[in-house]
Amino acid sequence: MTMTTGDPETLRAQVRAWLQQNVPHDWRAAMTGTGQDSFVRAQREWFAKLVKAGYATTHWPAGWPGGGRSLAEQRVIYEEVARADAPRLILFFVALYHAACTLIEWGSEEQKQQHLPDILEGRIWCQGFSEPNAGSDLASVRTRAERRGDRYVINGQKTWSTLAQFADHCLLLVRTDSSGPPQAGLTYLLLDMRSKGVSVRPIAQITGDDEFAEIFFDDVEVPVSDRIGDEGQGWAVAQSTLASERGLTLVELTLRMRYGLARIASLMRERGVSDDPALRSDLGRLIPKVNAACALADRYLLKRIEGTEAPGDASIVKLNYARTLREFTLLGLRISGLQGQYREDFTRGGSQETGNWAVDFMNSYNWSIAGGSDEIQRNIIAERMLGMPREPKNWQLPK
Amino acid sequence: MSPELIELRDSARQVLGAGGLSADESKTWSQALELGWLLVAVPEGLGGLGQGLAGASAFYAEFGRSLNAAPYVPAMLGIDAVCHAARADRANWLERLTTRDFVTASLGDARLAITNMSGGKPTLRGTVSAVPSADRAAHVLVCSADEACVALVPMAQAGVERTSRPTWDATRRLFDLRFTDVEIDSDLILASGSEAQALSRRLATHRDFALASDAVGGASAVLDMTIEYLQTRRQFGRPLALFQALKHRCADLKAQVCAAEALLLDSLSRVGEALETVDAETLGRGAKFFACSVYARVAEEALQLHGGIGMTAEHTCHRYLKRALLDEQLGRGDRYALDIADAFLGGL
Repeated sequence: MTMTTGDPETLRAQVRAWLQQNVPHDWRAAMTGTGQDSFVRAQREWFAKLVKAGYATTHWPAGWPGGGRSLAEQRVIYEEVARADAPRLILFFVALYHAACTLIEWGSEEQKQQHLPDILEGRIWCQGFSEPNAGSDLASVRTRAERRGDRYVINGQKTWSTLAQFADHCLLLVRTDSSGPPQAGLTYLLLDMRSKGVSVRPIAQITGDDEFAEIFFDDVEVPVSDRIGDEGQGWAVAQSTLASERGLTLVELTLRMRYGLARIASLMRERGVSDDPALRSDLGRLIPKVNAACALADRYLLKRIEGTEAPGDASIVKLNYARTLREFTLLGLRISGLQGQYREDFTRGGSQETGNWAVDFMNSYNWSIAGGSDEIQRNIIAERMLGMPREPKNWQLPK
Repeated sequence: MSPELIELRDSARQVLGAGGLSADESKTWSQALELGWLLVAVPEGLGGLGQGLAGASAFYAEFGRSLNAAPYVPAMLGIDAVCHAARADRANWLERLTTRDFVTASLGDARLAITNMSGGKPTLRGTVSAVPSADRAAHVLVCSADEACVALVPMAQAGVERTSRPTWDATRRLFDLRFTDVEIDSDLILASGSEAQALSRRLATHRDFALASDAVGGASAVLDMTIEYLQTRRQFGRPLALFQALKHRCADLKAQVCAAEALLLDSLSRVGEALETVDAETLGRGAKFFACSVYARVAEEALQLHGGIGMTAEHTCHRYLKRALLDEQLGRGDRYALDIADAFLGGL
């Protein structure tokens, strides 16, 4: 395990050297046109390497392997990971961030001891929040949990759960009470995906992949001891789950997008359109937007380090990234011309800019819809940052 | 921003704010002289406040925010040129330019020919546009197109012809200057040869950052003003600010203004004081192009969001819009997008 405190530049040199030696050089080729099984295998191998080096869990508190890094140090590590074009730990994202951060903030000592070491061993988690009728309006979750003695009995359905078909555990938001305001009746459970009555059905996506899944619950029993927080506290717990990824991920992704600009340049060369003034002008318009998205993510992290983050700041970063990524991938697709309309194998585990521009473009919607859609971000910016009034709550369906 | 700079900026905001929007040029000018605002970027070793380009940028943004009419940017370019010219009488010039005399400079991209550089009598020929408040200037700062000479030319010298070019933006008074075989006084040459190349590039980059800062200040102010209007204006029995269609537009504009500001501040911190490098040029162009595009789009939307009142001469909306549209055309105008692509593709 590598552990440094102090000079971030010493750490940078260490991380850079480690990545040079350890990032599988041919990983993009190996992950292009491959099935999910070899993707899962490759993710496990890369995850194990990062855990061993102490780079997978830098955001965990001190006392846990790899943990106790300052935000400034984490930033350095993320910058280097982006620079090295290392695979993204997509399969372990929910485990490392959502599950771990929720457990650390809200879990009992037993729950932490039970689950955190397992995450380091490679246990996969998925998130069971969204439902067919609870997307942006998360408080309207309907999946029921009925208390029977020392168990909850779950019935209902979750959807948009990333890679749930591979998950060992699920972060589950359920309704235990329908009498009061919607937020007040929610409870947060940790579900073993092997429990009787759980079934997972992958959803075919517009890319042809099935990265998301639906999860169905048919009288699934969950021990009360697997509840996080109190009954009725689920909304507050879910807020920390959703806040866990903000900041560092977008520092990494915006930087990857900046490095990804080189792919546009090589695409222009390959297509023989490097001298096309209209495309050059489009590229010239895109570059400052990409740099601005990086600057925003970076400055947001600095605000978090200083403790000066304000309401809406995170939404500004995400909205800019999502809009710029859409434009970026769309430019790639346009430069690809008719060629870009022919189906081609896609790369798994890459960032948002893999060079398969049609797929990259389709996947860019992940960032404008998931994790609070652009529209939700605009509400947050307007209401919490600009002080514009909230929608009236008493809307009635017209008779 | 250092606490010292924040204090300076806040006092500038207060003074400029008290003067009202589009404050009178000569009034602000005397305030700027009196309060030492022209010394902001002058190094401490030369008797200045040593706040560098970041300090100057904070002031440019305040001038932009208040749509101020004083020719602060060209004056600061003249002072920067003198600070970075290796001249024995620099202190004397700095004293003049920061307390009395106004040197103007083009905010466009001048194409001037200087002949006879080596033959003893350098001669200036050509036309520059977008020179602010040239009728009040004692000198004009000129850079030759081949970057071989940077000099000051007395406005009163024979062969210097001034034409007023009233712009839609009433907060600027621009002039064209035509130089017909104007002999340059060797005492007024600030740099020649490779030093002139470095200084020319420094000044162009400084200009780009100045325009970017003006745009960030203006965009932020016009958006604040628009949101305030939407909060107070009522139609259909409710404040306009309650309509989600309008809230979302404001949120998008806010996201763009924040992006322009972040890019400006990030670029400033990367450049530091090394303004003459190619990297600084690229960063300055990116910041200028992006900030001015955002300013123009925000001001355009602001007028629409104000409705009919925004079409009146009395309201401030159109002044922001016109300044924004002019800012967009200043510097290298339409060429930035291609410049940025060229630098990127060439640097790979």
